[in-house]
Amino acid sequence: MSIERKFQIAAYMLFIAVIFAAPVFGDEFWLNRISKYLVYGMLGVAIALTWGYAGILNLGQGLFFGLGAYMLAMSLKLSSLTSLQQGSDRPVPDFMLWNAEPGAPTELCCINKGSFLWLPFQSQSVGLVLGIVLPVVIAGALGMLVFRKRISGVFVSIITLALVLLVRLVMVDAQPVTNGFNGLTDLGWLTIGGIEFDPYSRATYYLCAACLSLTLIGARLIVETRAGMILQAIRDDHVRARYLGFDVSLYQVFFFVISAGIAGVAGMLYVVVAEFASPTFMDLSFSVTMVVWAAVGGRSSLLGACIGAILINMIEAEVSETEALVEAWKAIIGLIFVLVVLFMPRGLGGVAHDVLRWFVRRRKLGKAFPALPQQSEAL
Amino acid sequence: MLDILFIGLSLGSILLLVALGLAITYGAMGVINMAHGEMVMIGAYVAVLSGIWLKASLLLAIPLAFVVTALLGLLIERVVVRRLYGRLLDTLLATWGIAILLQQAVRLEFGLSFFGIHVEGLGAGLQNVAVPSYLQGTFRLASADINAYRTFIIAVTAALTLMTWFILYRTSAGMQVRAIIRNPKMAGACGIDVKRVNAMTFAFGSGLAGVAGVMMSGFKTVFPDMGTTMVVDGFMVVVTGGVGSLFGTILSSGLLGEINALVAIGTNDILARAVVFGVVILVILVKPSGLFSFKGR
Repeated sequence: MSIERKFQIAAYMLFIAVIFAAPVFGDEFWLNRISKYLVYGMLGVAIALTWGYAGILNLGQGLFFGLGAYMLAMSLKLSSLTSLQQGSDRPVPDFMLWNAEPGAPTELCCINKGSFLWLPFQSQSVGLVLGIVLPVVIAGALGMLVFRKRISGVFVSIITLALVLLVRLVMVDAQPVTNGFNGLTDLGWLTIGGIEFDPYSRATYYLCAACLSLTLIGARLIVETRAGMILQAIRDDHVRARYLGFDVSLYQVFFFVISAGIAGVAGMLYVVVAEFASPTFMDLSFSVTMVVWAAVGGRSSLLGACIGAILINMIEAEVSETEALVEAWKAIIGLIFVLVVLFMPRGLGGVAHDVLRWFVRRRKLGKAFPALPQQSEAL
Repeated sequence: MLDILFIGLSLGSILLLVALGLAITYGAMGVINMAHGEMVMIGAYVAVLSGIWLKASLLLAIPLAFVVTALLGLLIERVVVRRLYGRLLDTLLATWGIAILLQQAVRLEFGLSFFGIHVEGLGAGLQNVAVPSYLQGTFRLASADINAYRTFIIAVTAALTLMTWFILYRTSAGMQVRAIIRNPKMAGACGIDVKRVNAMTFAFGSGLAGVAGVMMSGFKTVFPDMGTTMVVDGFMVVVTGGVGSLFGTILSSGLLGEINALVAIGTNDILARAVVFGVVILVILVKPSGLFSFKGR
């Protein structure tokens, strides 16, 4: 095993150990905030997977995040107290009642035209399953269309961008079903196997930490499979990969779907932690911000992108405590971003890699040098 | 029907106004300039500031905004974009950073707000620009009420498009630009100073965005984030029309504008925008090179 490899494994293990040890250092409020950043870390991994390893810059990752978030939020909305206390024996979201036509029955099936869509979400497991299935299915269908047609580069970015904005507009327009701009607030708690995930509890933090660790390790393992290698070959030269007989689009779709699945899970976790889902998840700026995290952390390093996301958000939260610095911080982020693209295109992960290289080479030289004088004596 | 078509035409001309500069920077130079929307925003602020401080009318702000944003574009090209030619997606990211910087610069009044100094017309608030009285109101034309300011926008857009066409196709500088679009290395080998022409092209594209901003300020509120949605619309138009094709950009902006207007009459503005995005996705899926494009060499 090479030194680089050992270092890599150590870095992953250290990172996972740190996030699991974090609850020792802070109270529940702080943990809730860190849980959000861990979710952002998952988004960083999802971006690095498609952008760094597949060369697909997805500017619409917010779509999969948002869909995952909305699916679970619909279920949690129905299990909240306000939905249960609306004068019906079965839950009805409060905003539907506010906007209901006079005389409409207080039933989920028919309070308005689209409300029947909510019926399956009375069970939390439906929300949980759809939160990952829907992003995966949509990513699969989109990937099939886009990659089979050999669309690449910036055109993929523009299609994903247009799609996320399209879905956002439809969500906002479908006010009776989705509560439009306001999004879904006042949600119940996620309950799995009798454990209630109170957002301000250690259990929820450990849930996020476990999901992030599994995502990191899973993504790492999958890029080291043969499929992962072929994917990187496609990224470097898709024409050559095609001539070598590989089904290029199949690999691209596969990794696109995995990335969408990670984003979907991240969306669900975010809803559990932050207790709301809103169309802002599908804003252009949020999707680009994820890319910024990954770029600063290192686009072709899964761990780097993850740490980039967490680090930027932690610093941002610290800086935001001082009011005068809030707007200045955004300007600093803009500046950092320009500088990273210009002078550090491989991000923090790339720098770490270079430092390690340099260190290893020095050590080898160090071993070689003491031998030299002896040789000269012999001569 | 005629007034719906007119609304479509005016929506299309606004799209074209924003897309024209992008068609040049993206089409000719292969730079995805996400800060283009911020150039529009700066142009709008030039109109606001010149109205407040110089008591100048909107018409005078047009050349002023062109000069200011063109110089700013030149600066951005020299400092950042120049180092990124050939790294298409990296230009997208770097110019996104520039876009945030420009937004915050206006919001923080170029840092003056830290010292308690407030410049009227800048800052995080909303700004308005007065439209000269002869551009207000409506007039009747063949049983349709036509808004005077919208007509003015269409006229300015037409004039700018003609000017761009003339520069690109009837001057030697334009010929150099077109040569670079087709093949930058070959153009360089033929003695064209590619770096210089690229810098000038970028400045010209930015200047066009500045003029677009002045026109926008006449009928929209001006605020630091106003550019973000515009740059998306602009890219949709350019990609739909075909990268590097001025003609395609003109037609696709007209097409998307009319679709927007027609769908909006039947449903509402939000769905109309969604339909436009849908059309753009379909066009890219069916014809990734855009509706009108030439073969690069």
